[in-house]
Amino acid sequence: MASSYTHVGRQIHRATKLVRRDVKDALQRRYFGLGSATFQQPAATVSGSAEEIVIPRKKTWNKEAVLQALASTVNRDPTASHYVFQDDSYLTPRTSAEFKLYSLAQESGRTAAKYFINTYPKYFQKDFANPHIPCLMPETLELQVNEVSEAALIERIQLRKVKAAVDMYDQLLQAGTPVSLDLTNDLLDLISLYGDCDPARGDAPEQRTEEMGEEQEDVKRRKGMPQKASDFLRLVWRENNNAERIFNMMPERNRRSYGALIRGMVKHGAYSKAFNTYTDLLNNRLTGDVHIFNALISAAPEVREKYVEKWDLIVDLLKQMAEQKVKPTLLTFNAVLKALRRCGSLGRTQAFPVINEMKALGIAPSLATYDHVLGIFYKAATSAQGHTEILQDVLSEISGKSFTAQDPDDVEFFKDAMRICLATKDIEQAYRVHSLLGVGENWKLLGDSYYQSIYYGRFFNLLCMMEHIDVVLKWYKELIPSLYYPNSQGMRDLLQALDTDNRLDLIPQIWKDIKRMGHDNKTELVEEMLSLMARENQIPEVQQSFADCALDVKALYTQTDRRVPLSWSAGSLSSITSILLAAERTQQAWEMLKLFKLANRVPSESLMNQFLESVKASNNAQQAVELVQISASFCLSITPNLMERVQQEFDLTEEQRNTLSDLESSTAMSD
Amino acid sequence: MAASTFCPALLPLLRINCKFNGVYTRISLNRRAAYSLGLTASNGVERQGLPERGNQGQRRQRRAVEPRTERMTVDQDWTAVYPTAASFKPNSVPLPVRMGYPVKRGVPPAKKGNLELIKIPNFLHLTPEAIKKHCEALKPFCTEWPAALDSDAKCEEHFPIQVESKAYVSAGPSLRNPNARIITLTVKLSSLNLDEHARKKLIRLSGERYNKDTDTLTITTDSCPMKQQNYDYAMYLLTVLYHESWKTEAWEKEKTRADMEEYVWEDSPSQKNILETLLRMRPLGEKEEEGEVREELLGRVEVQEYKDSVTKLKNEGETETNMQQYKEAVKKLLNI
Repeated sequence: MASSYTHVGRQIHRATKLVRRDVKDALQRRYFGLGSATFQQPAATVSGSAEEIVIPRKKTWNKEAVLQALASTVNRDPTASHYVFQDDSYLTPRTSAEFKLYSLAQESGRTAAKYFINTYPKYFQKDFANPHIPCLMPETLELQVNEVSEAALIERIQLRKVKAAVDMYDQLLQAGTPVSLDLTNDLLDLISLYGDCDPARGDAPEQRTEEMGEEQEDVKRRKGMPQKASDFLRLVWRENNNAERIFNMMPERNRRSYGALIRGMVKHGAYSKAFNTYTDLLNNRLTGDVHIFNALISAAPEVREKYVEKWDLIVDLLKQMAEQKVKPTLLTFNAVLKALRRCGSLGRTQAFPVINEMKALGIAPSLATYDHVLGIFYKAATSAQGHTEILQDVLSEISGKSFTAQDPDDVEFFKDAMRICLATKDIEQAYRVHSLLGVGENWKLLGDSYYQSIYYGRFFNLLCMMEHIDVVLKWYKELIPSLYYPNSQGMRDLLQALDTDNRLDLIPQIWKDIKRMGHDNKTELVEEMLSLMARENQIPEVQQSFADCALDVKALYTQTDRRVPLSWSAGSLSSITSILLAAERTQQAWEMLKLFKLANRVPSESLMNQFLESVKASNNAQQAVELVQISASFCLSITPNLMERVQQEFDLTEEQRNTLSDLESSTAMSD
Repeated sequence: MAASTFCPALLPLLRINCKFNGVYTRISLNRRAAYSLGLTASNGVERQGLPERGNQGQRRQRRAVEPRTERMTVDQDWTAVYPTAASFKPNSVPLPVRMGYPVKRGVPPAKKGNLELIKIPNFLHLTPEAIKKHCEALKPFCTEWPAALDSDAKCEEHFPIQVESKAYVSAGPSLRNPNARIITLTVKLSSLNLDEHARKKLIRLSGERYNKDTDTLTITTDSCPMKQQNYDYAMYLLTVLYHESWKTEAWEKEKTRADMEEYVWEDSPSQKNILETLLRMRPLGEKEEEGEVREELLGRVEVQEYKDSVTKLKNEGETETNMQQYKEAVKKLLNI
């Protein structure tokens, strides 16, 4: 019995050993659990069989690796609109105005929801998300601590309530409690960052305070037409505001305090004051830090007039930086290059030494660096004389690299590069710039939808100018309307390209797109399209499609229900009429002729001749006489000519001859 | 134009008046007249409600847009259109699909606005192309298959226990799915070391979890909240079943004929009957020992055949072959 038990024991032991190994292998072999297998199992072997079964080491990966791998198989769909919109043909935006409206509507919905969650937090305490997502829970935006204490000041600083913080600080000082240096520095940072105004709360409607109102008007009056909304919010550093006041009251100041003040002044436009404060800093035997120097370098072009002086100031600052043993960073060099953009020809000579310094220090340039370099060498006014290599060199250097956002000016690179390509009419470089967009994370640096529309607008413009129509159409399908809603100028460029390559038969399709994008109320675009269609005769099928298109356009001019219709011009009327005539839709052409009278426009002589030709083809004498009458009613100079031709080429009845002779006499008398 | 000048000022009052009275007074007639006199500015301001509504009705009509299937090329990348599981969108799927109960003497309804197509699950995101792409992308996560395990039999031999678990991915507020905790453990009893008694006891203990046709025991555990706990519990159950089936309890001796899983011929009424019959059939002669006669009778081939056929009939049920066999056996025994 004992032996059998030990035998059984061995069997069990062997079975369980097999079992334990089997299970882990089975798990790994059959089904992949999602992530979080954190132990590494060494490669195990099963002995006792003829061949060794080597079980490989298990791989581990982070939580999102599988999803990222699967996501990498998905490309862009050129017919779909932006992913945030519902994929339904009634709900996708068709024009750029609709795009903006819909995305703003979504955003406003989200902010409204956030507003409710933050205003009534007690209803939103239940946490559904597992694992916990902190940003979905209500935030406390109201002040909790209300007595006068340092904790209250810390809270106000954290919640970014500038005025309340300043008040609390004043109360603390009056109560006699000393405030620590670090805390005072935090307060100064806060005031300098927000320019002594409360920042607008993200989810509440904008509170217009009086100061902001005044400053906005100042900005408007000074600048004329600001391009972007951020210009409205640029504040001015007022004299003796809270930051300066607190600064002067501080018993001891350190480098951080000076730094806060200098950076605030530079941000809000008080440049010379910033330099004065810096001199104070030096007089107090303190050294600056890298942020102070960055701010001063970016302020340097504002305080000097001549290029040489600006550059000398910057060099001086850099020397002081070296003396004070402050290591420059990427932002320092970017600030230098940005200042060099305003130094004219001096910038061109100094740009490359700066870049070499940067590389010598081992700082990798960001897209903003390259943007500033391009800005230095490609000024808007100067023509490209031997500078074209710079763009190519820059693109060769950065091709294949993926950049991350390190400087706020990184987003300017793509649109500026495309501007240069457009100015120099260089399609090859444009393709290189566009391919750079596809590398890694560079798409994030294209900017918001406004910058994107500029970039794609320039790209498409260049394509229409330089490339064959097939390539243009391929890009058209690729870019529009999933990435870019062209304006009417873009559509005119496209029509030009069609004209250049003699593909006018595609105009009816383009007209459908124009209508869809809402450009059918732009008179120049419509008239240009009509004149292109009317210019020459086409093969019959194309002519028929042109005629249908022309009738569609005519409907636009006459419909009164939804909005102000387009007003007729002589050109548009003539074009539509000649298209209809060429397509042999004479009845509708005659109706058009009546419209001339209603719209008070005069038909052209060539149109009259064209009419005569078509009437001759149908050999309708009555119509010929009517034609002459109409021509006489417009007092066209071609009337006698027409009359002669009609009399000669048609068989006229007596009445008709009489009418004609009456007309002849009346026109002769009017002459 | 006196009416026109004073009416706008009085309009709020007039409105209140009308509401209060609930009837149309002459003042209200004046109001309507004022409107129709063409006060364009105030018209625009006050009557903003009505023209817009008219416009909206027309705007809704105007928005008949072409679906984006018109712009799709024949050689487009379908995996970009349906990258993940999504409901059927008729304006994004360029197929003329019809579904639903046909209209009278007609055809099933078309895809536009067809709820039937939206309700059912679709596999538009898993075309063979897409699956190929996904497999390619997932290959880096896989390790090599051990070269020695090249047939199913070998896998069975070295790894007889198989454990299944499922993982779920879905978009929602929470990542957790309670179905992910379920573990299913399957093992073939032939790979376990069991003798007859243990096997029968194990089968009896596992009850429904044992599948006779494939000889597999399946243990599914979902009573614990976590997958690891369920897995441990399943292994524990397997171990306990194994050990318990090897033990023999005291009360197992009391197993009666009614508890037997299969028919056993020894000591059965059939054996008794046939022995009696054969004994009766023997010529009357000397009195021999009962035991020897029994042994001798039982040893006879026909009796063995009879035993086989009866056992087969009882265990496997009545089939043509079984009945034939029984018939032959009886004929031989009784010398018919």
